[in-house]
Amino acid sequence: MNTLFKIAWRNVWRSRLRTFVILGAIILGVWAVIFITSLSNGMVKSYINNAVQTEVSHIQIHHPDFLKDRAIEFSVGDADKVLASIQSTKGVKAVTKRTLTNAMLSSSKGARGVQVKAIDFNREKEVTNIATKVIEGEFFEEKGRNPILISRRIADKLKVKVRSKMVLTFTDLSGEVTAASFRVKGIFNTGIAPFDEANVIIRQEDLNRLLAPEAVLINQAPDQKFDVESLTHEFALLVNDTKLVDEIAGDIEFQFPHLKVQTFRQVSPELELYETSIGLTGMIVMTIFMLALIFGIINTMLMAVLERIKELGMLMAVGMNKRSVFSMVVIETLMLGLIGTPIGLFLGYLTVTYFGNAGIDLSSYGEGIEGFGMSTMLYPSLENSLYIQLAIGVFITAILGSLYPAWKAIRLKPVEAIRSL
Amino acid sequence: MNVIHTENIKKTYNPDTIPVEALKGVDLSIKQGEFTAIVGPSGSGKTTLLNIIGGLDRPTEGYIEVGQKDISKLSDNQLIDFRRENIGFVFQAYNLIPVLTAKENVEFVMLLQNRSEDERNARTIELLEAVGLGDKIDSRPSQLSGGQQQRVAVARALAPKPTFILADEPTANLDSKSTANLLDIMARLNKEENITFVFSTHDQRVIDRARRVITLEDGVISTDIQQHN
Repeated sequence: MNTLFKIAWRNVWRSRLRTFVILGAIILGVWAVIFITSLSNGMVKSYINNAVQTEVSHIQIHHPDFLKDRAIEFSVGDADKVLASIQSTKGVKAVTKRTLTNAMLSSSKGARGVQVKAIDFNREKEVTNIATKVIEGEFFEEKGRNPILISRRIADKLKVKVRSKMVLTFTDLSGEVTAASFRVKGIFNTGIAPFDEANVIIRQEDLNRLLAPEAVLINQAPDQKFDVESLTHEFALLVNDTKLVDEIAGDIEFQFPHLKVQTFRQVSPELELYETSIGLTGMIVMTIFMLALIFGIINTMLMAVLERIKELGMLMAVGMNKRSVFSMVVIETLMLGLIGTPIGLFLGYLTVTYFGNAGIDLSSYGEGIEGFGMSTMLYPSLENSLYIQLAIGVFITAILGSLYPAWKAIRLKPVEAIRSL
Repeated sequence: MNVIHTENIKKTYNPDTIPVEALKGVDLSIKQGEFTAIVGPSGSGKTTLLNIIGGLDRPTEGYIEVGQKDISKLSDNQLIDFRRENIGFVFQAYNLIPVLTAKENVEFVMLLQNRSEDERNARTIELLEAVGLGDKIDSRPSQLSGGQQQRVAVARALAPKPTFILADEPTANLDSKSTANLLDIMARLNKEENITFVFSTHDQRVIDRARRVITLEDGVISTDIQQHN
């Protein structure tokens, strides 16, 4: 067996150019699969993280009817009690509450429809990253009357800046149209264009005061006075470990069976779709690579066999059995794989590690990428299992690719092979 | 003792389409220690006869015994094993393994026979010295002349201690000096160690040195002459 390895090893280096070409193909292919997959993974993570940190959070809780028609009267009753209870649920990192309504936002230069997110700003900072996305002016504080945060996009479209005055017009709980003036406290840029174009942020206490001066919730007894402080449409929370998100959602649902509890995958089903489709694309890329590699290997090894017909004939003439000849061709092919794959894996690992830390700046494509909901800095990442999968994949491909040339080699008749030119 | 014995060997190529009768009934016996040349014009069937004697091809009809063993009915794999243990080949184009050194080429067949390392080493050195290449054991074929490569091929053929050596036009690619040198070595091995050699050849220099010359014409033996030289 040692001799077979020795001959196979020396045969590998017999035609150096050919060996380097196929090694180059293996190395480049392995590297490319790693890099493309890590980019895709980075994109998925960036997309999901952005969505979770800015907008969706890990779990959202609503009145079940609110999700159907987003009417302001579908508030979660007893919001403070619910909040305290969620806060004390095991695995919950932070929770915040919001009042949501649709409104018309006007400046002296124009108007547009927006969704108003009225937040508990101290809690919000612990759940979303919106406070860190303020690029001009400041985030909310206790003092001041009717501050509003708008995005850079809306500010540009309505031609306003920090401290400009704006008017929000919306329907209150009694069904009356009401308007209030706000002053721009800060301008944010989340990097997620759809979010930035649709949302403005104000303090929950300000909106609640405007929405429910005298109103009564439809699910409350007519004689019960509405509690302004308690008006809340949405709870959003982060968990400590995303793997446990379903379990924690189940716990909360158990505590509040009358509320609708949804994980981020249910709130934004496109996250899962995106995750799946990127995974599928990765599989397709890997399959194409393996197919290309298998044909590359067949081609190379077939050349290696065909140019050695005479020699193979001689080996069989002097008594090398077919099993050994077959093994020799397979071993030669495996050697190519065993040299190329670790180099490709190592280069791939270095690339992923480097860009995983340094990031890839995609700001020159910023518009399109932000429009899609990803940040412009991409951090490729890859699970270790893919390196192992890839190594096994190339190993199997090399064996498969060697079978035909090896079969061709043992089909040679020594008497004809020796005399061939 | 007969090393090779054939009875009425016939070989027909393409029996189903355009049959070509390469051998039409060859009876031949070669004894231990003979130094035999098989000659004849192209198409006379000498290569076919050599292939059959060497276990590389099977006769269509007839009986063939090599070292007292009937090889006409052996399977491909059995023939491979048989060749490994019984026949040493020397080819016209040397056919050494280019990636192995002279020593490794000689050792190779013994490795296939699972001989011990000590035995392999001793025999390899002994054989390479016997063919005058004791100082070239670590050279690759590309570093050797044609004559030297053919001497390595002779050493390789002798390595497994075969029943006989079959040499197919061994001098066809060699100059006069190399030919003479190679023939000297083979003649000495034949004389001193009683090794049986069977050549197919066109080369008059080889024919002149052979002690028995068998001429084939149209698939049959036309003359079988003993020479005294």
